[in-house]
Amino acid sequence: MKISREWLQTYFEKPLPDAATLAEALTFHAFEIESVEGDILDVKVTPNRGHDCLSHRGIVKELSAILDLPIKADSLRHPAPLEPKTEAVRVTIENPELCRRFTGAYIKGVRVGPSPEWLRVRLEAIGQRSINNVVDATNFVMLDMGQPLHAFDAGKLTHKDGAYSLNVRAAKNGEKMLGLDDKEYELAPSMLVIADGHTGEAVSIAGVKGGKPTGIDETTTEIILEAANWDGTNIRKTSQALKLRTDASDRFQQVISPELAAYGLKAATELILELASGEVAGFIDEYPRPQATNEVTLPLARANDVLGTTLSAPVIEDVFRRLDLSHMQEGDTFTINPAFERLDLVIPEDLVEEVARIVGYDKISPVELPAFPERPDVNSNFYASERARTELTAKGYSEVFTSVFADAGERVVANKVDGVRPYLRATLVDGLRDALERNARNKDLLGLKEVRIFEIGTVWKDGIERIMLGTADSGGVKEISLEPIEASTYDDLPISTTDRYHSFSKYPFIVRDIALWTPAGTEPETVLSIIRAQAGQLLVRSELFDRFEKGEKTSLAFRLVFQSFEKTLTDEEVNAVMEKVNEAVKKEGWEVR
Amino acid sequence: MQETVRGHIHPISSLIREANRIFFDMGFTFADGPLLESEWYNFDALNFPKDHPARDMQDTFFMKDEPGYVLRTHTSAAQIRYPETQLAKGIQPPYRAVSIGKVFRNEATDITHEAEFFQIEGLAIGEDITLANLKGTLERFFRELFKGAHVEIRFRPSFFPFTEPSVEVDMRIAGEKVPEKLRDRWIEIAGAGMMHPTVIRNGGLDPDVYKGFAFGCGIDRIAILKWGIDDIRLMHSADLRFIDQF
Repeated sequence: MKISREWLQTYFEKPLPDAATLAEALTFHAFEIESVEGDILDVKVTPNRGHDCLSHRGIVKELSAILDLPIKADSLRHPAPLEPKTEAVRVTIENPELCRRFTGAYIKGVRVGPSPEWLRVRLEAIGQRSINNVVDATNFVMLDMGQPLHAFDAGKLTHKDGAYSLNVRAAKNGEKMLGLDDKEYELAPSMLVIADGHTGEAVSIAGVKGGKPTGIDETTTEIILEAANWDGTNIRKTSQALKLRTDASDRFQQVISPELAAYGLKAATELILELASGEVAGFIDEYPRPQATNEVTLPLARANDVLGTTLSAPVIEDVFRRLDLSHMQEGDTFTINPAFERLDLVIPEDLVEEVARIVGYDKISPVELPAFPERPDVNSNFYASERARTELTAKGYSEVFTSVFADAGERVVANKVDGVRPYLRATLVDGLRDALERNARNKDLLGLKEVRIFEIGTVWKDGIERIMLGTADSGGVKEISLEPIEASTYDDLPISTTDRYHSFSKYPFIVRDIALWTPAGTEPETVLSIIRAQAGQLLVRSELFDRFEKGEKTSLAFRLVFQSFEKTLTDEEVNAVMEKVNEAVKKEGWEVR
Repeated sequence: MQETVRGHIHPISSLIREANRIFFDMGFTFADGPLLESEWYNFDALNFPKDHPARDMQDTFFMKDEPGYVLRTHTSAAQIRYPETQLAKGIQPPYRAVSIGKVFRNEATDITHEAEFFQIEGLAIGEDITLANLKGTLERFFRELFKGAHVEIRFRPSFFPFTEPSVEVDMRIAGEKVPEKLRDRWIEIAGAGMMHPTVIRNGGLDPDVYKGFAFGCGIDRIAILKWGIDDIRLMHSADLRFIDQF
């Protein structure tokens, strides 16, 4: 979510630190920051804080707590009475379990036009498009306070018996609606719509997208502003089914408080009156079951027991003060009444997290666990795997991992993103055979006479998941079930002593052998160093592969492997190198056989 | 060429061997679990609400004609399975376990993303386990893993449904032998936290009596950092040009 430092600043009397400092404060006390560009922070709000932090005001509250900076006024802490009420708009909710609240304002005499510069700049700075003063006001309030809103052009709704009528209902099978984005959406009964109660026509996909035919344009003079509360799961499913994610659906699917609707409506109404004039004919508020208040209790000892700290009661009290969490303290026990938007605060551990992150995780000193009273069990499958590794590597087998996904098998994945090899393997054999073939081509490069590989891996066969041990070599590809081995302790086995991995060339290599008659007692290493000096960087592997004596002379045969990191080598290039090598060894008085 | 050249174990196996040894010495038992896992163990028991955005973080492989089963997206099912197994044997906490193995994410692969990779989950449950113990345990693990270097650990706030509080773990290594890409830089290395009381309860224990810490850490990522490996897909390439370097 894009957050503007300037926008945040409007909440504070004192100047905020620069964006980088704000990013650091949030990183270590609240949320990861995806990026900072100029004065815009991209904040990755965690799913547990989607209730209250998908807004500038939410981030303001965090920064106020982290930096201990007072804010001028918190719009959510003053009551937002929706008065006077109007009878000119009637709302019915057929699915109250999916629409916990529906508030609206009927505003007459508005003048739709471009937004003032300050508003355009605000919205555009965080990547939003300015549309007109009314629509921009609703977007501004959503981005400011977190409550999505929608404005209907009342003139395009049906007026009958002295009133407009809005009806929240399930969509009909195959029902269609043209969205504000000019796309036609085909709806399903699992989705909710707001319909014109007089005609039955859907005018909005609830909580996701408004309808084009009742949208605001320059001819609009009367609007019905809607701020409702929709069920998170339902919105999420609708958004997924329609492949339509909007700023509104992103917020509703995180579940927001129905209390917020009134604050959002009130703020948007005031902003519209300011920007587009007009007057409020009245409000509506369908809120059958108001949100219950909740209490969370945290004894001081619990916080310290979980964190392994010795924080004092005043330190914890200070955290709650900074977070603006209304609290009572009785002895060393705190009782918190979370503000309505803090739906994440339910159990004592939620408060422990608040304490830890505001105090700072750097204040928690590491403490090693005490010695464990029991000897840990030895895992018989892992022990057997380790035993197999030891035995096989001693015989020259190297361990490979191949994919569990295959072209055939008994069980199949339903939604593989790349669409290929959707089966779970029933055998290691196919993967090993393929790996053997691929590696066999490189055996000279690898300096191997024969490629031998093994895999310890899971297969799904005969309805069960089991671990197999497979081997592949010139004798064929085999697999057996890995039988667990009981043991009382693990063997002390070597680990890799490699410091660095060196990337290898993806180009083909060329092999050349060279055999020489040398005087008896000539060290192969002496010969190799001369060869290497001549062959240069293209020589990637060189070793003695044959040696025999004949009278005073010793025959030494070397295998040389050439490869470039930049291209496929040609025979001519390697011939030229070999010529240099031949000359150099002849100069030493060695005869090339 | 020599007659029998020793073969090589996979670098991931070497890391698992080393990790298991370090944790075994700290009293942790290696506990394994199935790769094809029920949604209960992979999600529900770990406090993932149904149809919740938190499940989107996981990119899950679902099975055809086997509703309720997934390829495990993490090794965290051990937080439920291990207590259950111990309780079935009549053994009460304290528990310490690591679960090390393959996990899956349904995403397109490239040099930094693999659909199959390895994870180590660690958990300690007892009456007096703290977040400070988590820090101490991870610090010791990474110190022993990067022996000879100076290792620091830090926590940042995060969110996982199965831990509360939840933290992201960063590591910084200093020392001459440390590869340059890694040296003196904070690197995200694990997700962790105190086990959520609901998770403790779902494992069959009383959260008023027992607390626990849990962490999860990608082994491929450690390998990549430790050895400077430039492409995660090498892990499953079965290419000896890669494996024989270890």
